[in-house]
Amino acid sequence: MPHRLELTGITKRFPGVLANDNVSFAVRPGEIHALLGENGAGKSTLVKMIYGIMQPDAGEIRWNGQPISVANPKAARKLGIGMVFQHFSLFEALTVLENIALGMDSKIPSRELEARIRQVMSTYGLLLDPHRTVATLSVGERQRIEIVRALLLDPKLLIMDEPTSVLTPQEVEQLFEVLRKLAAQGCSILYISHKLHEIKALCDTATILRGGKLVDTCDPRQETSRSMAEKMIGAGLKDIVRAAGRSLGEPKLVVSRLSTVKTGHFEVPVDDVSFTVRVGEIFGIAGVAGNGQNALLDALSGEIRSDDKNAVAIDGYPLGLLDTTGRRKHGLCAVPEERNGHAAVSDFTLSDNSILTARDRLGMVMLGLINSGAAKTYTGKVIADFAVKALGPASTAGSLSGGNLQKYIMGREILQKPSVLVVSQPTWGVDAGAAAAIHQSLVDLAAAGSAIVVISQDLDELRALCDTLAVINMGRLSAARPVSEVSVEEIGLLMGGVHGTAEAHDAVPA
Amino acid sequence: MDITIAIFITLVGAATPILIAALGELVVEKAGVLNLGVEGMMLVGAIAGFAAQFYTGNPYLALLAGAFAGAATSMIFGFLTLSLSANQTATGLALTIFGTGFSALAGAPFSARPIELMRPLFPAELATHPMWRVLFGYSAPVYFSFFMVFAIWYFLKKTRAGLILRAVGENDLSAHSIGYSVKGVRYAAVMFGGAMAGIAGACFPLLLTPQWAERMTAGRGWIAVALVVFASWKPFRLLAGAYLFGLVMTMELYAKAGGGPLSIIPSELWAALPYLATIVVLVLISLRRDASTNAPACLGKPFLPSN
Amino acid sequence: MQFRLEKRQEPSQLMVYATPVAAVLLTMIVGAIIFSLIGYDGIGAVREIFLTPLTNSYKWQDLGIKAAPLIIIGVGLSIAYRANVWNIGAEGQYVMGGLAGTWVALATYGMTGPWILPLMILAGVVGGALYAAIPAFFKVRLNVNEILTSLMLTYASVQLIYYLIRAPWKDPMGMGFPQTRLFSEAARLPTVIPGTIVHLGVPIAILVAFVAWFIMSRSVFGYQMKVVGAAPHAARYGGFSESKTIWLAMLVSGGLAGLAGILEVAGPFQRMVPGFPTNYGFTAIIVAFLGRLNPLGVIFAGVVMAITFVGGEVAQTTIGLPNAATGIFQAMVLFFLLAGDILVRYRLRRVSSIPASGAA
Repeated sequence: MPHRLELTGITKRFPGVLANDNVSFAVRPGEIHALLGENGAGKSTLVKMIYGIMQPDAGEIRWNGQPISVANPKAARKLGIGMVFQHFSLFEALTVLENIALGMDSKIPSRELEARIRQVMSTYGLLLDPHRTVATLSVGERQRIEIVRALLLDPKLLIMDEPTSVLTPQEVEQLFEVLRKLAAQGCSILYISHKLHEIKALCDTATILRGGKLVDTCDPRQETSRSMAEKMIGAGLKDIVRAAGRSLGEPKLVVSRLSTVKTGHFEVPVDDVSFTVRVGEIFGIAGVAGNGQNALLDALSGEIRSDDKNAVAIDGYPLGLLDTTGRRKHGLCAVPEERNGHAAVSDFTLSDNSILTARDRLGMVMLGLINSGAAKTYTGKVIADFAVKALGPASTAGSLSGGNLQKYIMGREILQKPSVLVVSQPTWGVDAGAAAAIHQSLVDLAAAGSAIVVISQDLDELRALCDTLAVINMGRLSAARPVSEVSVEEIGLLMGGVHGTAEAHDAVPA
Repeated sequence: MDITIAIFITLVGAATPILIAALGELVVEKAGVLNLGVEGMMLVGAIAGFAAQFYTGNPYLALLAGAFAGAATSMIFGFLTLSLSANQTATGLALTIFGTGFSALAGAPFSARPIELMRPLFPAELATHPMWRVLFGYSAPVYFSFFMVFAIWYFLKKTRAGLILRAVGENDLSAHSIGYSVKGVRYAAVMFGGAMAGIAGACFPLLLTPQWAERMTAGRGWIAVALVVFASWKPFRLLAGAYLFGLVMTMELYAKAGGGPLSIIPSELWAALPYLATIVVLVLISLRRDASTNAPACLGKPFLPSN
Repeated sequence: MQFRLEKRQEPSQLMVYATPVAAVLLTMIVGAIIFSLIGYDGIGAVREIFLTPLTNSYKWQDLGIKAAPLIIIGVGLSIAYRANVWNIGAEGQYVMGGLAGTWVALATYGMTGPWILPLMILAGVVGGALYAAIPAFFKVRLNVNEILTSLMLTYASVQLIYYLIRAPWKDPMGMGFPQTRLFSEAARLPTVIPGTIVHLGVPIAILVAFVAWFIMSRSVFGYQMKVVGAAPHAARYGGFSESKTIWLAMLVSGGLAGLAGILEVAGPFQRMVPGFPTNYGFTAIIVAFLGRLNPLGVIFAGVVMAITFVGGEVAQTTIGLPNAATGIFQAMVLFFLLAGDILVRYRLRRVSSIPASGAA
C-alpha cells in the first residue's frame, strides 16, 4: 500500500530566509503524524504547500503514490486534504451554516447541507447549532465548525494546525477522541504542535523540524518529552534559575472588586475581581482565551479606568481613577497580549516606541518637547540588555521577528524598574530561547522586589513561572492558590467553567 | 391632486440617480471596499451619457455609455487600491477630483447644446389618467432602479455568489485562506459599482436637465455614499433613504420656482438642505444601537495576505 | 522576464521622498501623451502648465500668492491626516474663515487702527475651527464619519456665501452685483514686496509650515497625532486619548483653513464675492499627500500645485487648453503618487528564472 502522502526534498525560500530546506517525510493511511517544531521552524510553510496555499520552490509531493502539484486549496480539497487552521478562517457576522457552505466547493442546497452537518456531528459527537451567528460562539465551538467543515469533505488527510492552544484540558481530550475515531476509519492526520505531552498521548510518528530542516522522524512514545524538546530546540534546555530560600513580602498590588462594562460586541468584561500580589510574587492567571483576559489587562494598565479609586492600589495608594500615564508614574507598567498595534507601533522606530511608554518614567519629555537622544540611549540599552536582534534604535518595530519584538517590549517595561508589572501572554509565538530569556527576566524582576501578574493560556508556562495561580472564567476570577497545591485537573475544571460556572467553583473548594 | 402627482413624479426623478449610485456603492462596500469616488464616476458617466445621446439620440446607448465610462473609471480606483494596495480614502478622493476635471474637459465642446430627454418607457396611452402616470409615466432608469433594489437584495441574501461577496467583505484573509479570490471578487464589485455610478450620472442629462453643465451631479454622489451608511447596508432601506432625499430636493425645486409657502425660506437654505439633511440623517442613524454592527468588517482596509 | 514585488525589511526613506518627484515627472510625460492623443498640443500643454510659470519671472508673484493658501491649508490637513482624521471639508472651513473675517471687516467698516487686521485674522481662524468642530463633535460623540459631514458642510457653506452677499451683506453701491463692499484700507492685507501683489500671507504660509514641522517632529503633540493615526490601540496604551486627538486634529486643520480663508479675502479679493470658493481646500488635499504629510514637504507640494494653477491659466490663453485640464493634471499627480506608494514598502525585483511550479 502506498503512502497517503509523501514529501521529497521540499524547499521553500523567502527573501532572506530558507523556510524549508530539503524536507522529506511520509504519512501512512490512518496514521496520526505529528509535525513538531518551534515557532519559525517552518511547520506552517510546509503545510501551506501541502494545502496548496503556497507552492514549493523545489521538491516533490506524492499523493497515494502519484506525484501531484497542488495549485490551490480547492485542488487540495478535491484530492481529499482537509485543514483546520490555527487562526480560524471564520466569518463572525455569518451563521455556522453559511460559514460551512463557504467552505464547500460545490453548491449544495442549504437544507441538504444542514442534514449532512447534523449527520457528521452525531457521528463524531460534535455539538453545534447551525443557525447561530459565529460571533456568539466560544472558541471551542468555533473550532468545531472548522472540524465539521473539514469532515464534510470526507478527507483522506486532515491537517490540524496547533489545534489545542485555545482549548481546556477537557476539550483537548474530546478532540483527541474525535481524531482517534477518524484515524481508525483510515483518515491520516497531520498534527502540528509544539506541545510534547499531547504528541506523546496522540501521535504514532513525529517529524521534528528545526530552522526549516528536518531533524528527526521518531516514535514519540519511545521518546521522553525532554529528548524531543532538545531535538526541537537544538541545545540543552535551560531551566529557570531562582534564588534559593525566597520569601514573599508585604502586599504590593491590591485589586478589589474590579469590574468593567461590556464595550465591544463580544468582548467579555471583568466581573468583580479581587486579588493581592505581594512583593516578590509572580501571580499567574490562567484561562481559556476570550474569558475577560483582555479587559482585565486593560483595567489593570489603566486603558480602562475604574470609577472606584480603590479598585486598583499599589502600596495602599489608590490608582483606580488614573489613566495609563498616571499609573505608570506610580510604578505600574503593563504589556498587553497583542504586540503589533497595541504594545508597539509597527511603523515606528524602536526609539519612538520607547517614547510610547517610557517617556515620563525616564525623562524623555521636557516642556512638551521630546528628548529623542534620551529615547535613543534607553532603546540602545534595552536592545543590549535583552539581546534583541535589531539593527539599532532606528529599526522599525515591524522589521523585528515576533520573538525579538517581544523581548524588546518586555525589556522596555522591565528596565523602567516597575514596582508592579502586568503581562499578558509574555511568550506567545516566541521561540524557546527567547521564552527562556523572558521568563528569567520576570523571575529576576520579582526577586528584585516587584510584584508581577502573568496572564497566560499556557498552563506549562504558568506552572513553571508562578508562585500563585488563579483562573479567569467569564470575567470572574477563582480564588488564588499556591501553584504547588493545584493539579492540572483542578485548573482544567476551573477553566472549563464556560459551560457550568457553578459546578467548577464547587468542584474545587477554594 | 394634479400638483401632488406632479410633485411625486419630480421626486422620483430626483431620487432615481441617487438610488442607482447608492446601490452600486452598497455592493462595493459589502465586498469590503470603500470607494469615495462615486461623485467622480457619476460625472464621467454623465458626460459619456450626454455625448452618446448627443451623437446617437438613442438614450439606451447613452445609458450604456454611462455604465461603460463609469466602470472604466472605477478600474483606475480598482488598480490602485486592489493591485497596488493604495489608501482607499485618498484614492477615492483622487478619483472624484479626476472625474470632475475629466468631465469638465470633455464637456466643454457641448456647452449650450441641448439634447433630448429620455421618453417614458410605456406608451403614452397607458399614462393618460394622472393616477396611471404615477405607475407608468417614467422612463426606463426608474424601473431599473426598483428592479435593482430587489435584485441586489436577492443576490446578497439568497445566492452563493452573494454569500461569497459578503464573506470577502467580512474577513478577507479567511476568504483567501479558504481559496476564494479576494481581489477577483473586489474587482468585480468595484466595476459593478462604477457601472451603476455611471448609469446614475447619465440619468442627470437624460432625465433631469438636458444641458451639459460642469459638476452637474452637485454632490449627489457623496449623498449616495452617505445613504449606504444610513441604510445600514440594506437595499430596501436604501430605497426609503433615496426617496427621502428626493423629497427634500423636490421641495427645493418648488421653492426656487417661487411656489407659495416654501419661498419664505431663502432659496440658499433650500439649496443647502440636502447636504444638511445628510448630516442629520447620519447623526440620527448613529444614535441607533445597531448602527455600525452591520458594517462589513473589512470596509476600507487594504487586503494584505502574508503570502 | 517578469517583475515581482518583494516586501522590504524596512520602509524605504528614499522612496518616501523620491515618489512625489517621480509622480510629478510621470504626470508630465503621461499627460503630454494623453493630451496629444485626444487632439490637443500635449507637449505644449505640459510646457505651459509646468514650465512657463517657473521660467517666466512675471509669474513668480502669482505663484507665491497661489501657493500660500495651499500651503497653509495643506499643513493643517497633513497634521489631521497623520492622526487618521479625514477632514476633507477644508474648503468649507476656508469659506467660513473668510466669512468670519469679512464680518469683522464689515462691522469695522470705515474705522482705522492696527487692531482691525489681527482681529479679522483671529475671527478667520476661529470661524474655520468652529466649522471643523461640527464634524469633530459628531465623530467623537457618535462616531459619525467625518469625511461625509465635513464635505456636506462645504456644500452648505457655499450657499451661506450666496445668501449673505445677496441679502444682508450686499454692497449698497454694487449696482445689484451679489458681493460685499470693498474693505476699508485697515482691513486689507498689506503687500510685503513693494510694487508686487505678494501679500503678508506668503511669509505667513512659510512660517506656519516651519512651526508645524517643528511641532510635529519634536513635540509630544506631534507624537500624539502620529501614534493615534498609526495605531489607535497602542496610543491608548501609551496614554493618549483618541477623542482629544480628533478634536485637536480637526480644530488645527479647520483653524488653518480658516486662516487661509481670511488671508485670501483680505489679500487678493478685498471683498467677499461669489467666486471666493476657489477649490483651494480640495487641492490642498493633494498638496498634503504630495508633501508626504510633512509640513516642509507641503511647501514643495504647494508650489507644485500653484504652478499647475498658474500654468493652467497660461495654457488657456496661449494654446486654448480648457481650464479643466488643470484638474486632470492635479488628479494624475495624486494617482501616480498613490500608485508609487507601494514602492516604499515593497521593492520591484526582476524574476529571471521561472520558479518550480508557477509560484506567484
